[in-house]
Amino acid sequence: MRLIKQQIEKKDGSGSATMLPEEPEDMWHAYNLIRPNDLLRASAIRKIVKESAAGSRSVDRVHTNLTIRVTKLDFDTQASQLHVSGRVAEENKHVTLGSYHTLDLELQRNFTLEKAEGWDSVALDTLKESINQTAKAQLWAVIMQEGLANICLITEHQTILRQKVEVSLPKKRAGSSDHDKALQKFYQTTFDSLLRQIDLADPKPLLLASPGFTASSFQQYIKTQAASGANKQLHQLVPKITVAHSASAHLHSLSEVLSSSAVTSKLSDTKFARETQLMDRFFDLMRNDDARAWYGPKECEAAVERGAVGKGGGVLLISNALFRSQDINTRRRWVQLVDEVKDQGGEVRVLSSMHESGKRLEGLGDIAAILTYPIENVDEEVGDMDGGIDDLEDEPDGTAVNGIEGRSEAHEDIEI
Amino acid sequence: MHRMKNIEYDEDDLYAEDEEVDGEEEQAYTDEDRQNFDDLTPVVRAELDEAGLQASDREIEEALYYYYWDVGKSVVHLKHARTPRPQQQQAKKEKAKSKFDQAAERSASKTGRSSYPSPSASAWFDGILWSTVPSEWEGYLIPVGPQIPRPKLLGGSSKLAKLAEERRKKAASSQTAPSVPDTGLSSLDRLSKPKDPKENVLPQHAKQEPKKYPIRKKRELTPPPKEPSPPPEVEPKEELPDLRASPTAFARTLSTGPSQAARTRSMALDELFSSSTNEENPFKGPSPDDTILRAQQHSKGLNNGKATKQFANGLAKKAEALKLDQTSSPTTPTQPKIKSKGLDVPKLWKDGKAKRKPAAAFVVIGHVDHGKSTLMGRLLLDTGAVSQRDIDKYKKQATELGKASFALAWVMDTGSEERERGVTVDIAQHHFSTDKVDFTILDAPGHRDFVPNMIGGASMADLAVLVVDANQLESGMKGQTREHILLAKACGLKRIVVAVNKLDSSSPPWGEATFEQVKDEVTKLLTATGFAAEDIAFVPCSGLNGQNVVTPVPSNGKTGWVASSSRTLLQELERSASDNVAEATIKASLRMQIADVFRGGITNPLSVSGRIATGNVQVGDSVIVQPSGETAAVRGIEASSDGVEWAVASQLCTLHLTDIEPQHLRAGDVLCSTSKPVPVVKSFVVQIQALESILPQGVDVHVGRLHTSGIIAALITTLDAQGELLKKKPRVVKAGQSANVKVVLSDGGAPLEVGDRVVLRANGSTVAAGKVERTGSCR
Repeated sequence: MRLIKQQIEKKDGSGSATMLPEEPEDMWHAYNLIRPNDLLRASAIRKIVKESAAGSRSVDRVHTNLTIRVTKLDFDTQASQLHVSGRVAEENKHVTLGSYHTLDLELQRNFTLEKAEGWDSVALDTLKESINQTAKAQLWAVIMQEGLANICLITEHQTILRQKVEVSLPKKRAGSSDHDKALQKFYQTTFDSLLRQIDLADPKPLLLASPGFTASSFQQYIKTQAASGANKQLHQLVPKITVAHSASAHLHSLSEVLSSSAVTSKLSDTKFARETQLMDRFFDLMRNDDARAWYGPKECEAAVERGAVGKGGGVLLISNALFRSQDINTRRRWVQLVDEVKDQGGEVRVLSSMHESGKRLEGLGDIAAILTYPIENVDEEVGDMDGGIDDLEDEPDGTAVNGIEGRSEAHEDIEI
Repeated sequence: MHRMKNIEYDEDDLYAEDEEVDGEEEQAYTDEDRQNFDDLTPVVRAELDEAGLQASDREIEEALYYYYWDVGKSVVHLKHARTPRPQQQQAKKEKAKSKFDQAAERSASKTGRSSYPSPSASAWFDGILWSTVPSEWEGYLIPVGPQIPRPKLLGGSSKLAKLAEERRKKAASSQTAPSVPDTGLSSLDRLSKPKDPKENVLPQHAKQEPKKYPIRKKRELTPPPKEPSPPPEVEPKEELPDLRASPTAFARTLSTGPSQAARTRSMALDELFSSSTNEENPFKGPSPDDTILRAQQHSKGLNNGKATKQFANGLAKKAEALKLDQTSSPTTPTQPKIKSKGLDVPKLWKDGKAKRKPAAAFVVIGHVDHGKSTLMGRLLLDTGAVSQRDIDKYKKQATELGKASFALAWVMDTGSEERERGVTVDIAQHHFSTDKVDFTILDAPGHRDFVPNMIGGASMADLAVLVVDANQLESGMKGQTREHILLAKACGLKRIVVAVNKLDSSSPPWGEATFEQVKDEVTKLLTATGFAAEDIAFVPCSGLNGQNVVTPVPSNGKTGWVASSSRTLLQELERSASDNVAEATIKASLRMQIADVFRGGITNPLSVSGRIATGNVQVGDSVIVQPSGETAAVRGIEASSDGVEWAVASQLCTLHLTDIEPQHLRAGDVLCSTSKPVPVVKSFVVQIQALESILPQGVDVHVGRLHTSGIIAALITTLDAQGELLKKKPRVVKAGQSANVKVVLSDGGAPLEVGDRVVLRANGSTVAAGKVERTGSCR
């Protein structure tokens, strides 16, 4: 994303910023920037119905710039599209004030954002991050085991499951080659699905990960396909393949893969590396039941209140999912927490809820803290957390649980 | 109404037509219409008179109105409309096929097998008032069942023929004209509809009529053929041989058309034909062709299960009962259909208990390269389950790959990749029998990446054989020896036989001290895991050379202590085997986790294997597959590579399924009884024993063969050793603690019940194992 113009008052955060989204991931940034009640100005196509004096009606589609007061955001992870609904806040000759419109933000078209509550520190950080042009790491990952393959696109801020391939493989059986045949068919299916996803003209690094030999066999399969010569572009892909080990083909195994040295060297994603390091440290502390590690909203707030997340190693890990809250007060609560930690001199890491580290954090209630000194029994002080965790009927919806938003539909979405 | 147009009309069109007519009758004609009627009616009448037909004014008016005052069309229509409607439809179709009919008849008459009775046409229609009885007609059009498959021609099935004969006798008393159709039947004939003899001009058709008319009557008096019938594609085989030459492909295309009515009709016809064939036919009993066909059917196990479950009404039962009676007659061998015999399996199981050898399945576990597969290869070779010739062949092939020492392992490692790499990847299953026990070997992979497969194997076993390399105890204790022991316990295995392997290559060879050291270490670990001391047995052996596996070692020299103190592996296994399944388990609802879905062969295109956890199953049962919720019928059962009629809990068996698409079956799915299927759940609370620290995190969830992903959504409580509450909502569950945690599955639901054993793994190691305490809402 490029910042075209900004008029933000440092003092109170009022003012607006004009941005130009350039690639699909910028929509993800926009999704994190734009909040309900903000004023958003972007180009739109609006259908105008005109009625002439004679009573004849004509329908025109006009290109116009609309300013809307945001009421709802809808982010499509698969297509990386952002739909922003709202009410028109500035009248022009085509639309009346207060009428509803849904803006589809488009690539290579400016949009201007003015925050209703002013630009807070988290919003400014998000803005800064989104206009950072340097790191644009992207890679494809196929994480697989016999009979199951998940094809994902991994960017700096997101892991997007693009396709899941599931094939029922017969097990080995003496005197039958069904298993081998089915396995070849599975590789074929996975390979075909992969080719539909990736752009061979501009191949990104491809990471194959699996337990056992599945990934290396699949690499061999791709090499064979490239050697057979049907598709010349495949030759460019072959040297970009990295094979790694993963414990299973399920997506939560990705974090293990991504933190392996074979992958970090390719990704050169320092942000992610640091996050992973912090997450690992946090988990290590937790495993030892060290009272310097706490997770959960109330516990972390209590710890921050006591000044335990400050100078000298205090770290607050927080998922940006919390800042996307529809409720302004909830967002404000987390922004205040972040500001407080910063004031105390602690480190704040805002993790992308769509990235692996953010997903690990998600299980912990989207927030965790490493304290400078141990505090025992924070959880007892904060009293009862929101009850009903053992209530099985109260199931979190798929998006919250799975980490990858929209994963539940992922399968249908992409199978054409 | 418009005969010229509607050769291809289907039922819907005909119904629609009726409605139109009804509508017209109700609507009032305008004055203008009246005027037109007055003008044109006499003209039409004159035309009709010429043709020698009578028509009422009303009919003429209707026709005129319908054809928009076109006199010519109205006349044509009326000429045809003089016949009752059903005949019209039939006439239409017949027209298209009459050539074939004639051909079929001709061929039939040539063979001299057709023996037409000399029916008086009026006698045939005594009881049939069908041009005036609309209900009759309705019954004829409405399909009998939702999806009654086309029956086979009963010409090949004398049992049903007899059944039909009986019915006919009964029917005679109820004024139905008995059916005496000709034997010249082909699938074409079935398509031709009954026709009014008066209108008929073709003598061939006149001949055909008798076999068609009573059908409808017949069908109402007797239950439709409810017996399970073979799929349509086998039908041609059963046709009378002399008719094979008729163009059945075309006929079949037509006969399997969309019209349900056509199908029901043809069914009735089949029934009729075949029965009459037998009645009129001087050759009673099956023809030589029949015998051959029946034999073929038997060998191929042709059958159809769909029918079995479809018919639950009383009529069907009656028909089945009759059919069973017939079974006893010598001329009617049992049909190869999947019809449940209604066996009382628990009783059979109980009765046969005394005669039966105990059966046991054991899983072979241990660290990678400790010699599990080789030891099992040796066991199979020495018990004679595998011939020396095969081993020699493997040895030759293995030597070519430079892996001569893997020859024995190749008995189990049949996969190409396994042989190439010398590592077992998946569970191998093999049967062998001794004088005392029937054994099933489940050879588990030792590599840590394939632990999921090992869990699948352990969940199917009755006892475990732990193979420990006497020379590499340490590597195993850190690695999979430890994990496998934990998992064996987690999968509910109680007895464990420890084979201390490779003692021949220890230093010194067959050193008793080495053995004792290994024994101590492993015993410590096993008891710490929860195995009772009396359930642990140790066997020193060498798999590669076969010492103390089946053949005892010489009682002198270095191995003297072995011979005096220990049994051979086989003896130890026989001692550990027991056949102690509770009767309640066998009577419970069927639960069988699918370990493998495969193609069993040409006759069994879809088979599943696995271990029956609870309940029993017999051929002909229908089962539900969860989580897909699809039903399937069991057409065959194999246990220990032999076909059996039934199987009970704790048996490892292969079920040949039918009436289900393969995509509804996956390894890890559960086959269950239709009466009480296992629910599909998305979340559950599991009481775990933590092996590593547990936080809310993503985990792999293993339930036997089922391998899915989920997250530990909440830590609910930690518990102490007595199961008492220690702490609510703990922030972490430390290694060694027990706790209740809530697990939410990520990829849809899984079939789970309270008491199922769950293993949770993360990052390639087992973090917890336990039993399901509660299950969440169903999908």
